[in-house]
Amino acid sequence: MQFDLLFAAFGKVMLDPINFLFVFIGVTSGIIVGALPGLTATMGVALLIPFTYGLDPVQGLIMLVGLFSGGIYGGSISAILIGIPGTPSAAATILDGYVMGKKGLAGKAIGMATIASFFGGTFGALTMTFCSPQLAKIALKFGPPEFFALAFFGLGIIITVSGKSIMKGLVSGIFGLMITTIGFDPLSGCPRLTFGSIELLGGITFIPALIGLFGYSQVFQGIEKILTLPTVKSELKNIIPKLNEIKSVFKTMVKSAGIGTFIGAVPGTGCDIAAFVSYGEARRSSKHPEKFGTGILEGVAAPETGNNAATGGAMIPMLTLGVPGDAVTAVLLGALTIHGFQPGPLLFRDHPEVVYPIFAGMILAQFVMLGVGLGGMRFFARIINIDRRIMTPIIFFLCVVGSYAMRFSFFDVGVSLIIGVIAYFMNYYEFPGSPILLALILGPMVEQNLRRSLIISHGDPLIFITRPISAAFIIIGIFVIITSYYRIKKAMEREAKMGIVAEKEKID
Amino acid sequence: MKKEDIGIGVGLIILSIWLFWYVGRYRPVEIYIYGPDFFPRILAVMMAILGISLIINALLGNSLKMGDRIDPKGFVRLLISIGICIGYLFLTTILGFATATFVFLFILMTFLKQKGILLRIFSSVATAILVWGIFRYFLIIPLPEGWLF
Repeated sequence: MQFDLLFAAFGKVMLDPINFLFVFIGVTSGIIVGALPGLTATMGVALLIPFTYGLDPVQGLIMLVGLFSGGIYGGSISAILIGIPGTPSAAATILDGYVMGKKGLAGKAIGMATIASFFGGTFGALTMTFCSPQLAKIALKFGPPEFFALAFFGLGIIITVSGKSIMKGLVSGIFGLMITTIGFDPLSGCPRLTFGSIELLGGITFIPALIGLFGYSQVFQGIEKILTLPTVKSELKNIIPKLNEIKSVFKTMVKSAGIGTFIGAVPGTGCDIAAFVSYGEARRSSKHPEKFGTGILEGVAAPETGNNAATGGAMIPMLTLGVPGDAVTAVLLGALTIHGFQPGPLLFRDHPEVVYPIFAGMILAQFVMLGVGLGGMRFFARIINIDRRIMTPIIFFLCVVGSYAMRFSFFDVGVSLIIGVIAYFMNYYEFPGSPILLALILGPMVEQNLRRSLIISHGDPLIFITRPISAAFIIIGIFVIITSYYRIKKAMEREAKMGIVAEKEKID
Repeated sequence: MKKEDIGIGVGLIILSIWLFWYVGRYRPVEIYIYGPDFFPRILAVMMAILGISLIINALLGNSLKMGDRIDPKGFVRLLISIGICIGYLFLTTILGFATATFVFLFILMTFLKQKGILLRIFSSVATAILVWGIFRYFLIIPLPEGWLF
């Protein structure tokens, strides 16, 4: 750990008002995006990336991590006020938060969510700051087989983000890998699958693909359903929690922060799982578990601490290994690449001037989130009431601008629109979009290192299991795949059982 | 969604066969025994296996239940919106980015039946000017120019 660099980064980020402004913009936009149901933190980061092109990389990146933190927190506002989680990670917050809202305690619930998010976010960011450089040192010893094994492990995450069908998740993942083969071959330089198009020589650009997958597809669904979706109004009364109320949930927050950070750091898990596990653990270890679900502060504090702690945790594998922990960090990884930095161990060695300000920016983002969250509570509650017929065209327009601004290319807008249409249909037929995103990130790494390793070993595939680190990643990858398979299968069985029970109740 | 899964499975198999055949033209050169066709061919084989599995899964009755169906009227609305967007892209080079953006947003909001005309005008103008200003003066990123701005 280079403390001199860390302190210098803190000085640079915290004392410069311009940096503070960018963190403020990122956090505020994140809270707005998170609070609006249907808009996710992933989409928010994807749409904000084009606004960072002309900025200093550090300013752009701290704005994006600010949006990440704010977005995860913002989801709790709509979860508490209208019972719809703004982001999937706020789903667990509904269980007690919405009940509190219905009792007229929405202000107190949002206040607690803000404080818990701040606590969890700070814990996660500090863990990231102190653990990442150590992990990066180990990762510096990696060669092609290790990188292939690492990418294999990363691709194992596809199973965990497959939604209801693993097979369909795999189809999405392979489809994403196929997309990465368009353009110049990374080893021989031979143009592949370009069909004579000059624009395709560089491959499908990441940002337009990303905006197509997560921006346009949601906009298209929004337009299709715009006249049939009910309008929900939010109300906000009452005040923030008292000090003794915060003290009463402090133990829960500490425990949830640890759980959230750990879960976030495991690739393929993400903030939503962290929130549910934290909630479950808080309930399990509580002296009064029967009160959970009836609208208690602990039921809000646990998931909100957990999901925000997971933001810092998820940054650890992304920065140190170049393997994104979830969809948002996959987008952040793309943002780093666009600014000319390749996430992974070399980033710590070659660009500490970028890494340490990201740490500092993420910690600063938590303080800004606390201030903006508590101060702007009433404003964010009103944002939820904005007419969809106004918001949807504006987001549509931001998607167009975002896909154009990367290379000032209408071709990219077209590619993005086509991917958006494909993703729109994929949603209907239960093909998840996140595996494509992971494949777009990891595809080039998989192909290059697979072929390099086989060239080194003269075609002997045993090279991947005879080297200890490589073997370890492959074993962990297989473990992740198997456990995720059983987790999804169990969840599907549970869902099917619940469906049968619900149908029986209907008949009765 | 049995029928849909079978159809998609067949489509994936056709895609795989085509890819496997098409990348055959990228022959390996010298030291690159594992040439440009190596990885796409692995992917083609994997996709074909998944396509077959999807069909078998559907025939065994293990397909997922179709959740939300596409609303035909909503789908037409979506196609028209995409058409408006394509028109907007052409318009940016004729009218200029900010003006075309205002027109696009106003038309789309009107098409989506937003009733308040003042709100439509204000939100369209504000969004167009704000984003145009940020890109032109702050980020200094070139935007399409036309007769106006």
